[in-house]
Amino acid sequence: MKYIIIGASAAGLACAEQIRKEDKDGEITVLTKEKYLPYSRPSISSYLKGAVKENNMYLRKSSHYTSEGIHIVTGAQVKIIDRKSKTVKAGRKTYPYDKLCICTGSKPFVPPMKNVDGKENALTFLDLESAKRIKRLANPRTRAVVIGGGLIGMKAAEGLSKICKSVDVVELAPHILPSILDEKSAKTVKKHIETEGHIKFHLEQTVTEAKSSKNKIISLILKNGDEIACNLLLLAVGVRPETELAEKCGLEVSRGIITDPATMQTSDKSIYAAGDCTVSVDMLDGSKKIIALWPNAVNQGIAAGSQMAGGKITINKSFSVNAIDFYGLRICTCGLINVQGAKYSDKVICNGDRYKRLIFEGGRLAGYVLINSSENAGIYTNLIETGMDLSSLSGNLFDTPNPFLFVKPVRNKLLKGELDL
Amino acid sequence: MKRIYAIEELCLNCRLCEVHCKTAHSLSKDVFKANKYEEPTPESRVTVYGNNFASAALNCRHCDDPKCVKACITGAMTKDKTTGIVYVNENKCIGCMTCLAVCPYGCIKQGKAAVKCDLCRNENEPACVKNCPNHALIYVDKGGEEK
Ligand SMILES: Cc1cc2nc3c(=O)[nH]c(=O)nc-3n(C[C@H](O)[C@H](O)[C@H](O)COP(=O)(O)OP(=O)(O)OC[C@H]3O[C@@H](n4cnc5c(N)ncnc54)[C@H](O)[C@@H]3O)c2cc1C
Ligand code: SF4
Ligand code: SF4
Repeated sequence: MKYIIIGASAAGLACAEQIRKEDKDGEITVLTKEKYLPYSRPSISSYLKGAVKENNMYLRKSSHYTSEGIHIVTGAQVKIIDRKSKTVKAGRKTYPYDKLCICTGSKPFVPPMKNVDGKENALTFLDLESAKRIKRLANPRTRAVVIGGGLIGMKAAEGLSKICKSVDVVELAPHILPSILDEKSAKTVKKHIETEGHIKFHLEQTVTEAKSSKNKIISLILKNGDEIACNLLLLAVGVRPETELAEKCGLEVSRGIITDPATMQTSDKSIYAAGDCTVSVDMLDGSKKIIALWPNAVNQGIAAGSQMAGGKITINKSFSVNAIDFYGLRICTCGLINVQGAKYSDKVICNGDRYKRLIFEGGRLAGYVLINSSENAGIYTNLIETGMDLSSLSGNLFDTPNPFLFVKPVRNKLLKGELDL
Repeated sequence: MKRIYAIEELCLNCRLCEVHCKTAHSLSKDVFKANKYEEPTPESRVTVYGNNFASAALNCRHCDDPKCVKACITGAMTKDKTTGIVYVNENKCIGCMTCLAVCPYGCIKQGKAAVKCDLCRNENEPACVKNCPNHALIYVDKGGEEK
């Protein structure tokens, strides 16, 4: 059996390793256009601020791939998937496959702005290569501007603030981190970031135009007419699923590649897809959405790999869970956060810099936002995932969750497993 | 593999397991220094929950199919193939706490890197089990998630 995987990151690696668990002899080849072995993409912001060294960013030791018989080809950008002959082409080489998995991840979305495209000091922030370039360009005299106050933009801004003279963030929404925070919590987080990182925010703003000299941006004009100095511009407005290959070969694609939500199989029975490039079905409300988060990519990769090797693992539990910190402020979010409608309710408990918001759907937990109060958050995540009836709990849900939240039989199982003691 | 289990009925909420866990994970390995002076303060990986009426010490389950490992965004959290121990490589860990957000038992603590039970790595018996005066922690080779 010949397996080909396109993309060697969270989903691609999980897929390859799962195939190997279930098929000891199959030939596994992973093609990546990047020149690096699989590394932690989220760590590029830690790398930027100098908190982690490059050699610690690699997900596995290189010997792991040899011992597992996973052949990773770096610098191999796939240009064509030919479904008729069941081959993919990268460079001058053609790779035949019996089963193929597309794990091409995300690509940056860059909104049109006058005079920005192609400028030497305008970069996106999505891979190790871009982090290295930014690190080379940034210095204590740099006035950096980040467009986009989402997760990636804010992580980039935090990294830059440790190096640059000034960092400005321009965000279209009325508050930062709109995908994970509500207005009130976003205000607290923003204040913390302003004080700790000396970052300046321009909310409900967009960049209309850049002024440049010798192919380099020198300042930006905002919608309200303000002009801000800029000699390093980071474009972090958002990401979109990388679906080009899938579209070109005629697979079913909407915003992302469409797959069976359980098996990750695409509209072609020999082709699977996993990770950021796919449309996920959120188990919590059945909605189709792009969940561009690492754990989801890994889970999908595992399911795809198992199915490709004839195994049984499926995914039926896609949902968002994310943990992130800014200058020591810890934010942990899960499930449905920005939901509206009569069937949802929420409750907030705020105590100094601790903020806990739980979102309910009837008698079940549907989501949470925890700021500086993420202790044992996984227990909440599990309540969300299992849809446990909250009226069966014996403790106060707003305390730090622990085994005593549960009635004795459940608690016993947590503490003793299946042991009969 | 052998795992640690807690017996609520025998736990007296004395928290000696926490004291000895800290000691085992300290630089000095000295009960007094580890719990009083040492900088950085060593952290206990076992936590006693409850009150004087009902309490129990909670420890990592070293799951067969660990959610923390699958969710780890850096490859820092791994399950050792031979021993089955789930542990953190502190050089790789960026302290994001994604693992904490998915552990269904609540067994990971926040720190510069994730803090969790490593079964005292190469010891015959983990420090918490060895030092529990009430036999409320046992270290046995069955049960849990084991298949
Ligand atoms: C700065 C930053 C911080 C983040 N922080 C977090 C976080 O804290 N928590 C979290 O859960 N998630 C975080 N994410 C998101 C997380 O990184 C992604 O969800 C995850 O990487 C998705 O994995 P993937 O395998 O689907 O795709 P990707 O990681 O996007 O990898 C896809 C790979 O495929 C390659 N590829 C694409 N097209 C081709 C082709 N034609 N031929 C060959 N190779 C190709 C790409 O070069 C890339 O290497 C962050 C992302 C960024 C950028
Ligand atoms: S930390 Fe939690 S998820 Fe990870 S092995 Fe231990 S009990 Fe399992
Ligand atoms: S805190 Fe460390 S071990 Fe946990 S998920 Fe993040 S990088 Fe991995």
